Amino acid sequence: MNGPAVRLLERGSAEWPANLAHLGAAEPKRLYVRGPLSLTDACAEPAVAMVGARAPSAAGERFARTLARELAEAGVTVISGLAVGIDAAAHAGALDGAGRTIAILGCGIDRDYPRRNAALAKRIAAAGAIASEWGPGVEPAPWRFPVRNRIVAALAQATVVVEATRRSGALITADHALALGRDVLAVPGAPWLDLGGGTLALLRAGAAPVGGAGDVLDALGVQMEVEPAPGEPPTGVAGVLWAELRRRPRRRDALALSTGLAAGVTSAALAELELDGLVVEERDGTLSALEPSRRRPVNSSGRGA
Amino acid sequence: MTLVGPSLVPVIATANSQTAIGVEGELVEVEARVSGRGHGATIIVGLPDRAVTEARERVRAGVIASELWWPKGRVVVNLAPGNVPKLGPRHDLAMAVAILAASDQLPRERAGKVLVLGELAFDGRLRPVHGALIAAETARRVGLEALVCPRACASEAALVAGLPVHGARHLTEVVAWLRGELELPLAVPARGVVPADSPDLADVRGQPLARRALELAAVGGHNMLMVGPPGVGKTMLARRLPGLLPALDETTALEVTRVHSAAGVLRPGSGAIRRPPFRAPHHGASAPALIGGGAGPRPGEISLASGGVLFLDELTEFSRSALEALRQPLEDGELVVARAAGRVRFPARVQLVAAANPCPCGGAGGCTCTNERVERYRARLSGPLVDRLDLVVRVDAPDPEALSRDRPEATQIVAARVAAARDWQAARGQSIPNARLELAELERLGIASDARDLLERAAATGRLSARRQVRVLRLARSVADLAAAGSVAREHVGEALGLIPRGAGLG
Repeated sequence: MNGPAVRLLERGSAEWPANLAHLGAAEPKRLYVRGPLSLTDACAEPAVAMVGARAPSAAGERFARTLARELAEAGVTVISGLAVGIDAAAHAGALDGAGRTIAILGCGIDRDYPRRNAALAKRIAAAGAIASEWGPGVEPAPWRFPVRNRIVAALAQATVVVEATRRSGALITADHALALGRDVLAVPGAPWLDLGGGTLALLRAGAAPVGGAGDVLDALGVQMEVEPAPGEPPTGVAGVLWAELRRRPRRRDALALSTGLAAGVTSAALAELELDGLVVEERDGTLSALEPSRRRPVNSSGRGA
Repeated sequence: MTLVGPSLVPVIATANSQTAIGVEGELVEVEARVSGRGHGATIIVGLPDRAVTEARERVRAGVIASELWWPKGRVVVNLAPGNVPKLGPRHDLAMAVAILAASDQLPRERAGKVLVLGELAFDGRLRPVHGALIAAETARRVGLEALVCPRACASEAALVAGLPVHGARHLTEVVAWLRGELELPLAVPARGVVPADSPDLADVRGQPLARRALELAAVGGHNMLMVGPPGVGKTMLARRLPGLLPALDETTALEVTRVHSAAGVLRPGSGAIRRPPFRAPHHGASAPALIGGGAGPRPGEISLASGGVLFLDELTEFSRSALEALRQPLEDGELVVARAAGRVRFPARVQLVAAANPCPCGGAGGCTCTNERVERYRARLSGPLVDRLDLVVRVDAPDPEALSRDRPEATQIVAARVAAARDWQAARGQSIPNARLELAELERLGIASDARDLLERAAATGRLSARRQVRVLRLARSVADLAAAGSVAREHVGEALGLIPRGAGLG
């Protein structure tokens, strides 16, 4: 690891985040941190934990990234666990929005784990903060991940679960948040999918539903002004394809045939739609339409009520 | 003519045969020395393989069955040059002719002026041999007057212009012809029957994007990877690529035909191969089976596919060593096999089409693989060979709606568009396929500024390495050629972006 230097925080040091004290006996004794962001400063602002499935749908991942970006743009700190899937999307989204993000590791501070997120970790270390209660050299172990989740929940005022099965580790973070008296929010998923099971259970238990950044900002008490959507619905050929996918997700072949457009024309327009973030392709090849982002937070007014 | 008994003075006669080293023919002089001394043994010398040594029995039986007589003294047969391996039973006829000439049953002078080729049966019939085409080329090159070969090979050999080829069915016919007692019919070149197994693209229903990808692959010579669950038509698609490619030019047709002739896979009467060949070796194939080798050496699958399509189904099941062996010939377009007898060159200009499952479970009916398993599997799908697959297309089971709406075009129509696009390439003086164009050349041919913008935007997502950007531009060039466009336009890049491998990961 050739990242920035690691600093060691102990309870009572200046950068020690005050809200960790809510963990009581479970409060960590020390935290190793790298990256320019001060944990105290980051948690003095509105902060939200975003967690979810490690194998999300492409649409869920995309939603998480957009949500994190919009929250970051509204001045909210985004905290997660640097796992693959929703965690990574949350961090990446916050970086997209040039906002603050903190990654809490389930292994030693110097470990690039998981490897797939090595590049992302580097970006976080350069712009945000990576923290762990374990020092250099500590290997990742299955039991460390749920344990680290308590820190994720404690640092944030609210926890948002994007996609989670009933067995997901994200539910452990949500449990910690509830135990700490923090808000828990969940993005409703399709109840017939495994990935909708965990969030459905949370919603039943009283979690607030999330349809977009506005719902999270409301829960955090952040006042937000909105400006008209910069993303208009697509027009022309792209518009035809987008509208068709909005009616029903389908694969490329079926889309080309149902719109009657030539294969080449369809592919070209889809490439543009994907780059515009208006269409997303799942691992099984199904394409879905995404809404153009309707509002864009402009200035945050800090912490509200 | 007068027949005389065995002389005490040795009599020597020569006949001409031929052997192939790879696809190059080599003249073999078969000398027979018959002397009255000795104890009636027949000895064959001159680097013969087992099949040649066994020829003694066949030739003797064939001669006797043809109501000719076997010399009573000692018979020594020498195959020259001595440093070239002689393989197989193709020299039987030349040995018989030389022995008959040395025992004065044939005019010796005439026997030395023609090339005779064929395996003998015990009853004197001539059996067909591999590589008659290459034998005819050899005969013409060394200035022999004619080729006599088994009737079944004659039309193949007659593809070589400027050499009379006579087909014979029996040793007695050859003997009579050499004696001037019989005319053997002059063989005519095989007409080239259109192979019955050229399937039509119109059979592939519900897959318009895969069909389009196949068309683009045909336009630009792009190597292609199809990813999809088993049984959705990947093989069906691959088999239809040769039908979209233009017919082979004269030089290539002869080259391809020679390879098939050398391997003995040329069907009797099929004539010169004028359509791009299609080869689909099984994933159990060894490296030598793919690239050729062994005694001879024999051409491998990649050479048999030269000028056409090499299809590797279930790419991940091929052994690493087999795939690694393909890499260099794919790069060079030819294959050099070093042998004791010298270096042998085989052509290997193939368009590679590969197919693979999307994940270890096959992915049909919903994937049940964990991310980790999928990543391990995808890692197997990387490596130097896969890096040469420029065009990646996803092929899924068509849904019922797609099946009912699709009206696929026939091969004939798509092939005409491909031909027009290739004419467009030729008209601008381009002699290599788009798949091999360098960045500078692609730039010179023209790229619109908004097309560049789109590429840069895609690159900014971090999923497009510089190398992949060049691939996108090559594919976009083929899209543009299909549209008869001068410069690559934005929509051409857009379509190409959908046809490159998708890297995963954020950050």
